[in-house]
Amino acid sequence: MVETWYAILSFMLVMFIILDGFAIGAGILQYAVGKTDAERRLVLRAIGPLWSWHEVWLVSFGGTLFVAFPSILASAFAGFYLAFFLLLWSLVLRGVSHEASGHLDDPLWRTGWHFCFVASNILLAILIGAALGNVVRGVPLDARGRFTLSFFTNFGVRGHVGILDWYTVSVAVFTLVTLAAHGAVALVLKTTGPVHERSKRLAKLLWNVVPALLVVITVESWYVRPDLFPGMLRQPFAWLGVAGVLGGLLAVFTGLRTGREKRAVAGSCAFLAGLMIAGAASVFPVMLHSTLAPENSLTAYAGAATGHGLAIALIWWPVALVLSIGYSLFIHRHYAGKVRPAEDTESPY
Amino acid sequence: MDDALLWHRLQFAFTITYHYLFPQLTMGLAWILVYWKWRHLRTDDERYGNAVRFWARIFGINFTVGVVTGIPMEFQFGTNWANFSRYSGNIIGQTLAMEGMFAFFLESAMVGAMVWGEKRLGPRNHFLATLGVAAGSWLSGYFILVTNAFMQHPVGYSLATDGTLRLADLQAYLLNPWALVVFLHNQTAAVVTGSFAVASVGALYTLRNRHSAQAALFLKTGCIIGLVASVVVAFPTGDMHAKKVAQYQPVALAAMEGRFHSGPMAEVNMIGQPNVKERRLDNPIRIPGALSFLAYGSFYANVRGLDEFPEDTWPTNIELLYYAFHIMVGLGTIFIVLMACACIQLARGRLEKTPALLWALMLAFPFPFIATSAGWMVAELGRQPWLVYGLLRTTQGTSEVVSGGDVLFTLIGFVGLYFVLGVLYLFMVGREILHGPQPTSSTGKRGAAHG
Repeated sequence: MVETWYAILSFMLVMFIILDGFAIGAGILQYAVGKTDAERRLVLRAIGPLWSWHEVWLVSFGGTLFVAFPSILASAFAGFYLAFFLLLWSLVLRGVSHEASGHLDDPLWRTGWHFCFVASNILLAILIGAALGNVVRGVPLDARGRFTLSFFTNFGVRGHVGILDWYTVSVAVFTLVTLAAHGAVALVLKTTGPVHERSKRLAKLLWNVVPALLVVITVESWYVRPDLFPGMLRQPFAWLGVAGVLGGLLAVFTGLRTGREKRAVAGSCAFLAGLMIAGAASVFPVMLHSTLAPENSLTAYAGAATGHGLAIALIWWPVALVLSIGYSLFIHRHYAGKVRPAEDTESPY
Repeated sequence: MDDALLWHRLQFAFTITYHYLFPQLTMGLAWILVYWKWRHLRTDDERYGNAVRFWARIFGINFTVGVVTGIPMEFQFGTNWANFSRYSGNIIGQTLAMEGMFAFFLESAMVGAMVWGEKRLGPRNHFLATLGVAAGSWLSGYFILVTNAFMQHPVGYSLATDGTLRLADLQAYLLNPWALVVFLHNQTAAVVTGSFAVASVGALYTLRNRHSAQAALFLKTGCIIGLVASVVVAFPTGDMHAKKVAQYQPVALAAMEGRFHSGPMAEVNMIGQPNVKERRLDNPIRIPGALSFLAYGSFYANVRGLDEFPEDTWPTNIELLYYAFHIMVGLGTIFIVLMACACIQLARGRLEKTPALLWALMLAFPFPFIATSAGWMVAELGRQPWLVYGLLRTTQGTSEVVSGGDVLFTLIGFVGLYFVLGVLYLFMVGREILHGPQPTSSTGKRGAAHG
């Protein structure tokens, strides 16, 4: 039961990163690939009307964490207090700037909101990366399972750590570059014309940087959490993740070289999913690792909800999942294929 | 009350009150849009099509602000109320997860296509998308009200050995009688908000002599739905809710009415200022026996006053609770009168020639927002000093690791950010209203009059 819910939560996070990763990545690159207002609006059209459905994967992840692991949610959300509010505010800014930019056909208005959109997406990618880095590195959990993190302490990775240290910052940089690369291949698939050409050039460049950074991050993770790598060997899911990472990289490279745009996007998804799955499998069953004392760490078994609540949720959750995917397909089929510049100057899609 | 608790409470109160200004309009407008869209589908009358297009643009702005201010609410349970989450997460987690999985996915998939995708989807699928948004928003409302109902009147739980609550009966939890009553009351109130907004824009255009066909439609739809909803929100749903409060939270009822002493023939106080120190109501204007009748169905029933309850179970802010309740009830009564007058004139075909009434309708739109906010203050202040009624006190529910300074930091951040959001919202909605529901031309471009 606990393993199932851990897998479900990992799945939801993977869906969020893959799907909303398109919007975040495309948002990061909006100015890099769009030199005119029309081109920048084309980027928003490529993101499409389902962007808020993509974002809901994060909200539903939060809700599902609540039902499955309430005490872990309580410790983590309170402990990451300030980081959470930065994340929430960048989500607010991103949603508003996306909606507002379309509403007025005025260059100044558009420029302002597009800038806001890019900035909030960059901030979002950095925060997501820092959060993932924190989960891997661990947090200063005390014996009661509580912790609190300031933004930074001495930038070291042991003992009384902060949200930002050299490790989490490098994971954040890696995430920023990787999500931008992910967005770039999606833009290649969804656009034509100058935006398409620039996205292609950027995708090739970024996907050369991603493997190099991945090597750096892997070596750093080895230093920060040496215990994780023996753990990976015992977890078949972690092998699956590694296979996804390697296969995904291969698909992206061959896809970009031969112009098979869908293959590149699929490869990028497999790469992100593989990374997340390998990470989730190798930290399991620890959900919050303590940097103070290993015995303080909170495991999925200790943090899981008790009673029959989890069994009941396992009945309705798959039903909701099927419905949800049905809704998105119902809308998606009307928006498949490459996007063209809008006829309606105020419609974002 | 120590500093951190005060800031935790203020931040939640501020962010939830601000947030709820938007979903109530979303939920109210959603079914009006479904109705117009359906009429458009059936009759092919472009008046309905244009009405949907115009209100969908406002709906889109409103929906976005509702979403972005709603995401922090979900996360604040964990960030600011970690002990409450630990204590009752096993139960309220169910509905919070269901809200995301069943409601948010539905709404968020449909809303973009509903606002901007009429041409791409075609009439039938566009109607379905509109229906999906309406259903999703009301479903979301239900799950949140069940969550709140558990805090007001906990059911379906058992106490685990570690001192936290666990789910014992999902059906009992989801069909909490408190939730069913509040759902009817709250959703009708949302329809009041939506219909007042529609009627208000109709009155504005009529007074300015513009968009006359649309204005007539807005007035007709707004006033008829507005009258029905205003009546239903008071009777039977408001009445049912009050009886639930009398049954399960009698001390809150006493405080709402400023009733310090017990006795039969309990009066309703129309006006008066509670003087908690002296245990009396100053300058009251009263209707004898009315409270006994409303709460228990008999003029002679005894209604217990605050003196019958231990002082540590009294709501912590009796004055504000009293005023919030009276503002809600007072405004609700005025709504019925206003919409009844409007409907009489509408039936006589004279509403468009009654400027005084049009002015009143035009200026009335903010008041449902005030009434619903006051109503929620009644519910939440009446629940004090409990976080989960009778089980967990508010003082026990916070995140003890988060300092008061951290919370004040984020509260100030929210105030600043939400102020900007409010200005932006008013500007964008105001601009849509000034531009008005002009038919779209064949190229999809909107009229040249657009500023």
